[in-house]
Amino acid sequence: MSKKQVPLVEGLFTWPSDQPKLIASKCKKCGTPAFPASPYCTNPDCEKKLENVEKVELSNRAKLYTYAVQAYPMPAPFKMEPFEPFPLGMLDFPEGLRVLGMLTTEKVEIGMEMEMTVRKLYEDDENEYITWAWKPVK
Amino acid sequence: MKNRDIAIVGVGVHPYGKWPNKSMPEMGCYAISQALEDAHMKWRDIQTMACGAYMWIADQGGVPSLLLGTAVSTMMGGTGIPCVNIVNACATGQTILREACLAVASGEHDIAIAVGTDKSAGGFFRPQGNDKKFDNDWLRYAMTGETNPGYWAMEMRRRIHDCGTTEEDMAMVKVITSKGSVHNPNARYRKEYTLKEVLESPMVCDPLRLYEICATSDSASAIIVVPMDQAEKYTDRPIRINGLAVGSPSFGDPCIPLTYLSALPKADVGTLGWSESRNALAAAYKQAGMTPKDIDVIELPDNSSWHYLTYMDMILQLPYGGSDKLLREGYFNVPDGKVPVCPSGGFGAFGEATVAQGLWQCIEIVYQLRGNLGPRQITNNPKIGLAQSYGYAGNNGVCIMSKAF
Repeated sequence: MSKKQVPLVEGLFTWPSDQPKLIASKCKKCGTPAFPASPYCTNPDCEKKLENVEKVELSNRAKLYTYAVQAYPMPAPFKMEPFEPFPLGMLDFPEGLRVLGMLTTEKVEIGMEMEMTVRKLYEDDENEYITWAWKPVK
Repeated sequence: MKNRDIAIVGVGVHPYGKWPNKSMPEMGCYAISQALEDAHMKWRDIQTMACGAYMWIADQGGVPSLLLGTAVSTMMGGTGIPCVNIVNACATGQTILREACLAVASGEHDIAIAVGTDKSAGGFFRPQGNDKKFDNDWLRYAMTGETNPGYWAMEMRRRIHDCGTTEEDMAMVKVITSKGSVHNPNARYRKEYTLKEVLESPMVCDPLRLYEICATSDSASAIIVVPMDQAEKYTDRPIRINGLAVGSPSFGDPCIPLTYLSALPKADVGTLGWSESRNALAAAYKQAGMTPKDIDVIELPDNSSWHYLTYMDMILQLPYGGSDKLLREGYFNVPDGKVPVCPSGGFGAFGEATVAQGLWQCIEIVYQLRGNLGPRQITNNPKIGLAQSYGYAGNNGVCIMSKAF
């Protein structure tokens, strides 16, 4: 039996899901989104009232703004076992946000349409710990 | 500054390197002693002190290093003066210098010192706690694998895409800055690099190579400021502070500052981005009543080749990518360009020492403006210089200085 896939940190993306999405916040007054969710609207010209802000799911599709490859292992708290060089990028969302995330492949190009998925960071006896990641839309 | 003109009359630097057997207060005392000697002063002459607070406390130093200035002043011998401890990431140097200048400009004190001392965490900088709930730095590092060089590499790739920056351009940054390091006694790496050596160095975060990224170092710096009309008591080569500003990001900036997970790019903030740098630069130019054309020498944070090229675009207010062409034409050459950039050797030769480096950048400008540096003196007879820093969360500082003798 395969292990249970558990987000390394809960509450940042919808899970379990066939189409995982990042969980952000949105101001009902001015529409400003924020990721991770912010308790107050981050627009300097908008009022600071907790009741103005609601949780929203971001689009499962985004455009690749840029990317790079991390070739060397890093110290804790980053944990990937076994470590292998991995690509990461910045994604532009239809909602206007630009967000960081790992990529599933380095065979990508700037401007490419990407789809959100998950990838394993490491596992223990019971669980596989996962984070969000982006793959090219086929 | 308003109310009172400010002069730098004493500077001190602890050589950059790895000093495992020295504490941060010890290096701070060394830098202060150098600055006092330079200004012909005694420790008891100092009336107020602003000090950098240490950032990497999970690795070393603990709580006393958050109150680092107090530890330094205790080692110097407590004189009861005001001592504030400030951390503003890589912009800490300009931030504490501003604090010292404001104390003098306001008339509260006549002699102020800014002190930064630091033993930066080795290798990739990392989160300093284990707060998975509210620490965005922890989240971006553990969930997306973003290191500092990873961030720089992503920005570099986008610049290559947008502006056509080449592999050779990125490598030339190191070739040019390394020329200033050879004769600088405070530099950690005193070696000139060839284009071939840089291009053959290992790829750390594609597209950035090892010699296109700076190391992390241990160091300390101190600067003493007084009112300009009292400067001649302490030095025959005072340096005027014309503009000194600290900036933070603007809402809508397209860049995702380090420690953050996202940005919300807005067209009206400008396509160039990195508003925190433009904000500090604009404020410093305005305060000084100057434009980029007035600047003869620049120290900037060449943490990577991307920083160098991007910050030159902003410092000179060039169109996005404009500094690539000037780099190729030798405009920034050390020591004989039209406007030499990082004649000290830059972070490439020094490494970064987070809260100390902003002061050190200003001090390298002071050295060039004072002149008579021998083989490392730049050849354009500089009158005005600019030191810029950039750090975590988008904190930024700029200091414009000029010869006042």
